[in-house]
Amino acid sequence: MAAGPSSHGLPEASEAIGAGTLPVLPALRELLPRGGLARGSVVTVAEFGLLILALAAGASADGAWCGIAGVPEAGVLAAAGLGLDAERTLLVPDPGHAWPQVVASLLDGCELVLLRPPAQAPAQIRQRLEATLRRGRGVLLVAGDWPGAQVRLRVLTQGWTGLGDGHGRLRACCAQVMADGRGQAAVARTRWLWLPAEDGRVTVAEPADIPDLPAVRRLQVVGG
Amino acid sequence: MSAPEHRVMVLCCPGLSVPAQFDQVLTAVTSFCPAVEAVEPGVCAFGARGPARYFGGEAKLADRITAALADLGVESRAGVADGLFAAHLAARAAGPVLIVPPGRTAEFLARQPVSVLVSQDLAGQDLASLLNRLGLRTLGDLAALPAGDVASRFGAAGETVHRLARGLGSRPLAVRPTAEDLSVTQEFDPPEPLAEPVVFAAKALAERMHEGLAARGLTCVRVQVRAISADGRESRRLWRHDGLLSAAALADRVRWQLDGWRVPAAPADPAGDADTDGGIVVLRLVPDQVVHATGHQLALWGETVVSDRVARAAMRVQAMLGHEAVLRPVLGGGRDVSEQVSHVPFGEKREPRLAAEPPWPGRILGAAPAVVYPFAREADVTDEAGAAVTVTGRCVISAAPAWLAADGEPPLRITGWAGPWPLSERWWDPVAARRRARFQLLTGDGRAWLAAVQDGRWLVEAGYW
Repeated sequence: MAAGPSSHGLPEASEAIGAGTLPVLPALRELLPRGGLARGSVVTVAEFGLLILALAAGASADGAWCGIAGVPEAGVLAAAGLGLDAERTLLVPDPGHAWPQVVASLLDGCELVLLRPPAQAPAQIRQRLEATLRRGRGVLLVAGDWPGAQVRLRVLTQGWTGLGDGHGRLRACCAQVMADGRGQAAVARTRWLWLPAEDGRVTVAEPADIPDLPAVRRLQVVGG
Repeated sequence: MSAPEHRVMVLCCPGLSVPAQFDQVLTAVTSFCPAVEAVEPGVCAFGARGPARYFGGEAKLADRITAALADLGVESRAGVADGLFAAHLAARAAGPVLIVPPGRTAEFLARQPVSVLVSQDLAGQDLASLLNRLGLRTLGDLAALPAGDVASRFGAAGETVHRLARGLGSRPLAVRPTAEDLSVTQEFDPPEPLAEPVVFAAKALAERMHEGLAARGLTCVRVQVRAISADGRESRRLWRHDGLLSAAALADRVRWQLDGWRVPAAPADPAGDADTDGGIVVLRLVPDQVVHATGHQLALWGETVVSDRVARAAMRVQAMLGHEAVLRPVLGGGRDVSEQVSHVPFGEKREPRLAAEPPWPGRILGAAPAVVYPFAREADVTDEAGAAVTVTGRCVISAAPAWLAADGEPPLRITGWAGPWPLSERWWDPVAARRRARFQLLTGDGRAWLAAVQDGRWLVEAGYW
């Protein structure tokens, strides 16, 4: 049965342009060594939240399918606000013990898979998934720790604006994001971002606009 | 009033252990009546009028068939009634033969509890429990309601069960001679020795068949599945369902049919891996009873945005973890962050629970939380003095909140807050009614939270970070 590729709407346009990377939102480009998510690589974010959703948003908006596994509390509304296309999102909230097979299957269909692995993912399983990843053209975004990751990001500090003492509402969040990793990514980069800005988009924060942030992010910095 | 349904006999063989045995059953029944339809594994049906006349009555026919099956070592029960649905129920209740006299089917059905509708995987489950809650205990209660009211309250599914309850077919059988060939075929080159890839192909094939039918405003309640093996043998089987045979349901039936037909090669076979039939070369689905579509199921097939590749991946995960394990989010209306996103199992119609259109006063504007807990977490919110912060019925707060401890975590200093925003939802429905006061809280670690007080308890519903 030869189903015509034209009858199905998976845009392949990004292949030609982006070559080896999946696009990210413009504000995030400077944090990543190649200005995008390198295909076949693992990118980690220390904790599940706005940052990892923002990382996925660029490729999703560009037409990639995104699978989200192991994150039952993923806020799709916020993700959609950042640019993730809910139409092209698959959720597997609870993959259980079969998570490696689930991720491998999702990587067959989706260019982008966002995973929160169990705390102690065995090295053997991780390496097997990395091999699967290299064979394909996908990107694995991990919320948490993944020792073999090419790029690691985390939020160092963040602060919300708009909320007072008994009044107001959350409007925007200014976050200091750091990226480091291996190879090209070895040099740590730090950027201030509005994540999100008042209009819901992700933008680079001008130094003058950065609010006074007394809060230092919790000290549960990931080792490795 | 449409014409009464013809007489149908259903045979149930509850004790079948292997699919191959069901194949023997079908072969045995074929000697009494050539046009046997498999309904599900262990259950088959056929029009009883002709054979009953030939064998001297429905009771005699049923006795002879159950006796013939007993000779095979198969215990069976037979039910005869007007229409497949009633006959199936009769067979399930039979011991071992139950014949509902012609014209008395409505009476028989009226005594059945509405829970029997669950087995009709239409909208079954929910509808049956809903009817029960509405005080409609039996099919008779349901049948007594005017058809128009049922249809307008419960939609196409309600219409279907109402027809069933009255002893009519689930759909008006507007059978038309299939002038055009609506069948779909998949060839396997090289022949496919394993069942699994064939079943996979069957799902895609079924989708193609439904697309072809839907384009003509049709759907089918009966499908013939034909499989041809490399050694030239052919398996033909009719499958029917009173609801709609979805692609997944049809793939299941292909699996059942192949399981029954292709006895696996004996392990003692010296040729080793050589399969007995050389593999499947052709799989063909022929829509057999075509009826006019009610328009409801079109959307099921209308989702062309999913590419084959994505569908395969999603279906493989569903095969591992179950149908409900792979979800597609749909943005809709509602006042709560958790309400505004519905999760629909992959392959089903993407439709939000609540429509996006009506204005939803009370919705919290501004940034949405990235973390939305599927079940709100218990929390303690205390004031500067360490006393629990309470909210009165008039939404007056006892003191400014100072500390937040979610679910046993160490308390976090609250550095900013807003609220309470009262929300009284669905006061007209005692089950769904909720009265809550919501807050946004900012904590010293830079994170923000969406919390609510409900029935005097603090709950953390979502997190902004």
